[in-house]
Amino acid sequence: MADSECIHNRGKDAVLVIGGGVAGITASLDLADAGQSVHLVESNSHLGGQVSKLDKLYPTDHCAFCPLWTDIKKCMEHPLITVHTLSHVKELKKESGEYSAVILKNPHYIDEKKCVFCGRCVEECPASAIHSGWEHACPPSFVIDDTTCTKCGDCAEVCPTGAINIELKEEEINLHVNDVIWATGFKEADLSHLKEYGSGTHPDIMTSMEFENWTAEGGINKGEIVKRSNHSVPQNIAFIQCAGARDLRMIPSCSAVCCMHALKQAGWIKRRNRTIDCYIFYTDLRTVGRDYYRYALREFEGTEVKLIRGRPGLIHPLPDGDGIAVQFENTMTRKREIRKFDMVVLNGNIQPSLIQSRPGRTEKMAIPPMDKEGFFNTESDETSNFACGFGLEPADVAESVIQASAAAMGVLNKESDQR
Amino acid sequence: MGVLESRTQIIVREVKMNQPGILVFACKWCGLIGADAAGKKRVSLPARFRVISVECAALVETDAILRALAGGIDGVAVLGCHIGGCRYTNANHASIKRFELLKDLLDTTGIGGKRLLLSFGTAHEYHQFEEIIKNFFDELAVLPPLDPWLSPFGVVS
Amino acid sequence: MANIVVFLCRCFGEIDNTIDFDLLRKELSKDTSVSSLSIVDSLCLETDIEKAAFKINESKADRVLIAACSILSRGNLPVNGLIKEGMERHKIGLVDIREGCAWIHNNDSDGAVKKAKDLLNMGISALQHKEKSEDMSVTVHPDALIIGAGPAGLAAAASLAKTGFKVNILERANAPGGMLRLISQLYPTGEDAANKLNPYIDEVENNPLITLYPQSKIVSIEGYVGNFTVQFASQGKDNSIQSGIIIIATGAKIFFPTGLYRYGEIRNVITQMEIERQFLKGSFDVKKTVFIQCAGARNEERPYCSTICCPASLKNAMRLAEEDPGSEVFILHRGIMTPGNVLEKYYRDALSRGIQFIRFEEERPPRIMGDDHVESVEVYDAVNGITRKIETDLVVLSTPLVPNDDNARLAQMLGIEVDRYGFLSEIYPMHPLETKMDGVLICGSARWPVASDQAILQGKAAAMKAVSYLRQSEIAASTLSRVPGPKSGHARVVPDFCTGCGNCVAACPFDACHLEKTKGRYISKVDMMRCKACGNCVSVCPNGSMQIPEHNYRMVGEMIKWAF
Repeated sequence: MADSECIHNRGKDAVLVIGGGVAGITASLDLADAGQSVHLVESNSHLGGQVSKLDKLYPTDHCAFCPLWTDIKKCMEHPLITVHTLSHVKELKKESGEYSAVILKNPHYIDEKKCVFCGRCVEECPASAIHSGWEHACPPSFVIDDTTCTKCGDCAEVCPTGAINIELKEEEINLHVNDVIWATGFKEADLSHLKEYGSGTHPDIMTSMEFENWTAEGGINKGEIVKRSNHSVPQNIAFIQCAGARDLRMIPSCSAVCCMHALKQAGWIKRRNRTIDCYIFYTDLRTVGRDYYRYALREFEGTEVKLIRGRPGLIHPLPDGDGIAVQFENTMTRKREIRKFDMVVLNGNIQPSLIQSRPGRTEKMAIPPMDKEGFFNTESDETSNFACGFGLEPADVAESVIQASAAAMGVLNKESDQR
Repeated sequence: MGVLESRTQIIVREVKMNQPGILVFACKWCGLIGADAAGKKRVSLPARFRVISVECAALVETDAILRALAGGIDGVAVLGCHIGGCRYTNANHASIKRFELLKDLLDTTGIGGKRLLLSFGTAHEYHQFEEIIKNFFDELAVLPPLDPWLSPFGVVS
Repeated sequence: MANIVVFLCRCFGEIDNTIDFDLLRKELSKDTSVSSLSIVDSLCLETDIEKAAFKINESKADRVLIAACSILSRGNLPVNGLIKEGMERHKIGLVDIREGCAWIHNNDSDGAVKKAKDLLNMGISALQHKEKSEDMSVTVHPDALIIGAGPAGLAAAASLAKTGFKVNILERANAPGGMLRLISQLYPTGEDAANKLNPYIDEVENNPLITLYPQSKIVSIEGYVGNFTVQFASQGKDNSIQSGIIIIATGAKIFFPTGLYRYGEIRNVITQMEIERQFLKGSFDVKKTVFIQCAGARNEERPYCSTICCPASLKNAMRLAEEDPGSEVFILHRGIMTPGNVLEKYYRDALSRGIQFIRFEEERPPRIMGDDHVESVEVYDAVNGITRKIETDLVVLSTPLVPNDDNARLAQMLGIEVDRYGFLSEIYPMHPLETKMDGVLICGSARWPVASDQAILQGKAAAMKAVSYLRQSEIAASTLSRVPGPKSGHARVVPDFCTGCGNCVAACPFDACHLEKTKGRYISKVDMMRCKACGNCVSVCPNGSMQIPEHNYRMVGEMIKWAF
């Protein structure tokens, strides 16, 4: 049980933004710039959400962290925004037009305001439980992983500023807010029950975000493309689109962002190593947004990413472990083939995070109505007043940010209605 | 002007050390982030380089680069953001062309275009910064030191 | 000589275990411009900043040099802290001797201390020569100007008026509504477009805060955020409006594919907009229809996907199928673009209604057969590998939206850019409705083809961005930065030396420089509201008369001299 330290916050004009990804940050900044105080709740130790894990952004090939970094810093420094990281909403009740929320804050054992990033705690820790938080955080700090920490206290003894307090407990914060904006984003879904994708059967069959981390410039391999099984350079890589998506068994809808994401990943692989053949297995290549089609053309005409229209029926590791067999029908030639690939990237299995954590609508959690897939009911116009980003509907960065500003405007207008 | 003469003499004395010196102009975004990350990772680099941070690579004047080279600094590196990534709406676009022109000019005048290193969008990770600086040191080590008496007051203005 | 107080931060030993601080202290004590040198354990915790401020006041120093960690790490904290205590920004210098020195040269303490000494010397000379830029403030006109009264413009106007701001809307046509007036029903709900539009039109007519100027033509736009002046003519009368921000919602243009698929040549080959017009008049009788997607889009002249044509075809196809269950509808496509959950379900619905989809390739487009009216369409079904001949009464071409002809002219008046296709350009990547000119926002199809629901969303979002400007009574030019914190300065020209060459005017990405005739010759003048201190003008100025005071040539020259 948590020691609850109730901090009553009569933030009369406050708005609660749930989710600190791109959408949540934008909504918070917009509201705060308009004079509203905001409480921004994020479950991770830093803001940025899924975009902070990306290497590059389409269609401009910007590094993902740089523009994000600016907005995160503005969020953290804004006098009207209170950021709660390592936190989630435990209770949310709606009472006569207002909301009362209980936020459960997991302890930051290392106080970010006092950590000078010297690293002595990391050296001292016997369980290797301390690692650097988001590397682009400004100011940078270390984070203690609760699951491996043995609570020995050695780190606290060597910390020169006394920033570490391992005795800290969870905190509950009570808030009264006028409005809530849901910006909960997406998470990758488990594909192991759709056996044909071979998820989890071979180290070189990866999900899209795993692959992003594996091949990112700033990632584990410093931008080098190697196989996860034996660290040699792959000869070819298959990107499987619509894995789990547009599939009535799992995710009936189209996840909207994956086609561009795969084109971007494949294009960058080719740029870093021309010898690797990249194949994208698609159904429809959805390139709807600004400049997306030309970006796609550039990848398959310029950098020679190959496209095969067909959803593979079987992805299976080869018996000797070296390589993965992909069986597919090329629907444009109507030929069935089995080809050996060194790496396979599964793309498409992304779902709204809320449906994954399944908090359920109860008296204690006033979640707006969601459809079966976890998207907020978009039948009415009202949903754009309180939801944004992937939780509202599958959306990329530009869309999410627009939705976030519109949600913020909706909240602001609702306030002026009530006045 | 007495200060200038005494400073120039100090430069002459120190240039006689055998390690080349590099002056790095790093834009506060892509350039400095890489340098910073290298520091945070405690990468070991040779110490003979100095970093001047600028808002945008466009702010680095040709004059400044030439003064640096004329003052005995063996190499100048300009680190900026990649094309299309400049926070100031492609302010770096024109400046890249200017620097490449300067590189050609340095080649033509015999100073050596190799002494000007341009990295736009390729130095923002710690390993990239490390590689660029180390490679630059290696390249400059095989070039002869610049004669500081060539023009201690700068070539332009 | 300036009076400089130097603080050397040890960072609890992180810095001075590599760099010999005693040596540094000895070297700096020889420098006459250093009035005092303090070595501290840290400078970034709250109590440190108070102590530092106290010390500075005590020593009556002019300027402060802080040698600590990087500005991207914790170095910003003492700088901002001292500014809060009342010091001026240009009198504080920050030198990175941690990430940039001690940590990166941890194996070479001789080299590191030499570097630290040089960096400190550079910092001192920089401080001595750093100057302060001018700043200016403009009083904000708390009115908004929206150009275009389509769904995007109307939504923006409604949101802003609800927040309490006065809104003026300039509309080219003689009534509001834009392209939404030409649409019969909306996808995916099937509701009448008028249902969506009328509440907004009512709002515009009845809300005293909103004024609509129909039949408007813009003559000129001048000024900057907080104070734009727009001259225009409306219904024959000349007029001028001042506003704090401008939202561009001018929409896009309908494309007539003359010559494509024999459009204009034979009867019953129509566009999507023409079928909408038919629906608006009432239902009509057609037994067989063929929709052809990407007619004039995703090709060489227009290499983009126009977003709305696939869902629009699904909508109209389903309507035809519904109104006459015996009718046959084919959609010939190169990939149905229905991303997301709502649209993908819409696609499945269309499939279940019996609409037939045939995929063709760009290299083998369908052919229209018939003499004076369409009789059949021949298409190579790329998935089944056979050529099909579909008898049909009607062919509907899904054409893209194209940019308005006067986008380029409008962009030039505003100082913003158009992209390669002709649509108005935004700032990537997390600010899709903002342009490179502060206070000018774009939304709707003027930015990129969108359907009305997205246009309305974008209108609301643009209104939100506008609020942050409009609610300020004054905007200082230094706050219009693209980064956290104020701008680093403004470009400044020394009028006596300026030769009026105009290089700066051409080089500035923000159009902040212009030439003015003063005392018989042209001299460059910098508009501080637009300048972002990127430095392009400084680099192209042939004689150095354009400088950024916080980074002027003397300062850089001195830093270079002291670098080694």
